[in-house]
Amino acid sequence: MISFKNVNKWFGDLHVLNNINLEVEKGEVVVVCGPSGSGKSTLIRCINRLEPIQEGELIVDDMKVHDKKTNMTQIRAEIGFIFQSFNLYPHMTALGNVTIAPIKVRKVKKEEAEKLGQQTLERVGLGGKAGAYPAQLSGGQQQRVAIARGLCMRPKIMLFDEPTSALDPEMINEVLDVMVDLAKEGMTMIVVTHEMGFAREVAKRVVFMDEGQIIEIAPPEKFFTKPKSDRAKLFLSKILTH
Amino acid sequence: MWSFYFSELIHSLPFFLKGLWMTVAVSGLSLIMGTIIGFIWGIIRASRNKILRSLIGAWVDLIRGTPFLVQVFIVFFILPGIGIELEAFPAAVIALTNLAACFICEIVAGGILAVPSGQREAARASGLSAYQQLRYIILPQAMRTILPPLVGQYVLLVKDSSVVSAIGVVDVTRVGWLTVQRIPEGIMVFGLVGILYFVICYPLINLSNILERRMTVVATKL
Ligand SMILES: Nc1ncnc2c1ncn2[C@@H]1O[C@H](COP(=O)(O)OP(=O)(O)O)[C@@H](O)[C@H]1O
Ligand SMILES: [Mg+2]
Repeated sequence: MISFKNVNKWFGDLHVLNNINLEVEKGEVVVVCGPSGSGKSTLIRCINRLEPIQEGELIVDDMKVHDKKTNMTQIRAEIGFIFQSFNLYPHMTALGNVTIAPIKVRKVKKEEAEKLGQQTLERVGLGGKAGAYPAQLSGGQQQRVAIARGLCMRPKIMLFDEPTSALDPEMINEVLDVMVDLAKEGMTMIVVTHEMGFAREVAKRVVFMDEGQIIEIAPPEKFFTKPKSDRAKLFLSKILTH
Repeated sequence: MWSFYFSELIHSLPFFLKGLWMTVAVSGLSLIMGTIIGFIWGIIRASRNKILRSLIGAWVDLIRGTPFLVQVFIVFFILPGIGIELEAFPAAVIALTNLAACFICEIVAGGILAVPSGQREAARASGLSAYQQLRYIILPQAMRTILPPLVGQYVLLVKDSSVVSAIGVVDVTRVGWLTVQRIPEGIMVFGLVGILYFVICYPLINLSNILERRMTVVATKL
C-alpha cells in the first residue's frame, strides 16, 4: 500500500530522511516513534507530498508520489492526515469541517455529504456537536472532529502525526479509542505516537527512528521489552521514566 | 462683507456639489478597481512564486516611496510623450487606482500570511486545489484581518484623491480653488471643502470602527 525505496530528503544541509526503506501493507497499523527532531513528521508528510522527497521511490496505492508529474489531488483524497494541532477550520462548524472536502474534491452533493458527515460525527461520538464551532469544543473533541474530517473522504490510508500530544491527559483516551476502532476495522494506518498502550493493542510493527534513519523495526511487544539497538534502549528509558 | 460672501458661497453650492460628485466618481471608480487589482496582487504577493512576488513588491515600494502628485503628473504629462494621450479624468483614475491597489495589496498579503500555516496544510492534505484552499479556507479567515484596515485605507484614498485637482480634474478641491478666486474668504471656502470630504469619509470611518469591533469579537470567539 505504501512503499519507501531508498528515500532521501534534505532540508538544506540537514539530512532529514536518510535512506528510508519501508513497506506498509493494506490494513496494517504501523507506529512510528523516536526522539523529537528525528524525522517522524517528515516521514509521514512525504506520503501525501506535504513535503517532496529528493531521492528514491515512494509509491502509494500504485501511484508514484516521488514523480513530480503525478497529480496529487487523487492521492491526497485517499489519505486522511491528522495533525497534532488538529487544524480544524475555525470559521466552519464541525459539520462544515467534515463536508467541505467531500463536496469540493469528491463532488458529492451537499445533502449527501451532510448525511455522511453527520453519520461520521456520530461514529466518533460527536453526533450532537455538528453545529458547534471548533472554539466551542474541547481538544479531544476537536481531534475527533479532525478524524471524522479525514474519514468523510472514505480514505484508504490514515496518517496520524502525534494526534494526542497536544491534549490534556484526560482527553487522550477518547481519541485513542476512536483510533483503535479504526484499526480494528482494517484501516491502513501509520501513527506517529509514543502511546505504548495503543501500539501494543493494535500495531503490527513499531518503527523506531533517530536522526533521519530507521534504526529498528519490530513487533511492539518485542520492541518495548527487548529493543535491539542502544539508541532505542536509551529512548525507551527516557519515555518510561516520564 | 462676510454675509455677502456667505450668500455668494450658498449660490455656488451647485458647483460644489458637482465637484463632490467628481470626487466621488474618481475615488469610487479607483477604489473599486484598486480593490480588485489589490486583491489579485496581494494574493500573488502571499504566494510562493518568487519572481512575481518580488516584482509586485518592488512596484509597491516604488509607489509607496514617491509622492502621489508626482505619480499623477507622470501619468498625465509624461505618458503622452510615449504616445499615450489621456484626458485628466482617466489619468486621475489610473493613478489613484494604482495607488489604491498598492496599499490594498499589502493589507491583503498581510491578512493572508496571518492565517496559521496549519490551515493551508490541512486544506492541502484533504485534496483541495490551490484555488479552493484560498476561496474556502484562507480568504474567509484572512478577511477578518483585512476588512478593518481596508476600509480605513479607503478613507485615506478619498482624501488623497484631492491631489488630482492639480491636473485639472474639477473635484471638490479644485472647485475650492476656483471659488476662492471670486470669494476671497479662504477659511469659509475651504471650510466647506473640508466639510464635503468629511461627509464622504465619516460613514467610512464609522464602518471601519464597527468592523474593527466585530472582527475582534469574532476573533476572540475563535
Ligand atoms: N520545513 C522545514 N525546514 C527546515 N527544517 C525542517 C523543516 N521541517 C522540519 N525540519 C527539521 O527536520 C528535522 C526533523 O523534523 P521532524 O520531521 O518534524 O521531526 P519529528 O517529527 O521526529 O520531531 C528537525 O531537525 C526539524 O528541525
Ligand atoms: Mg513531529
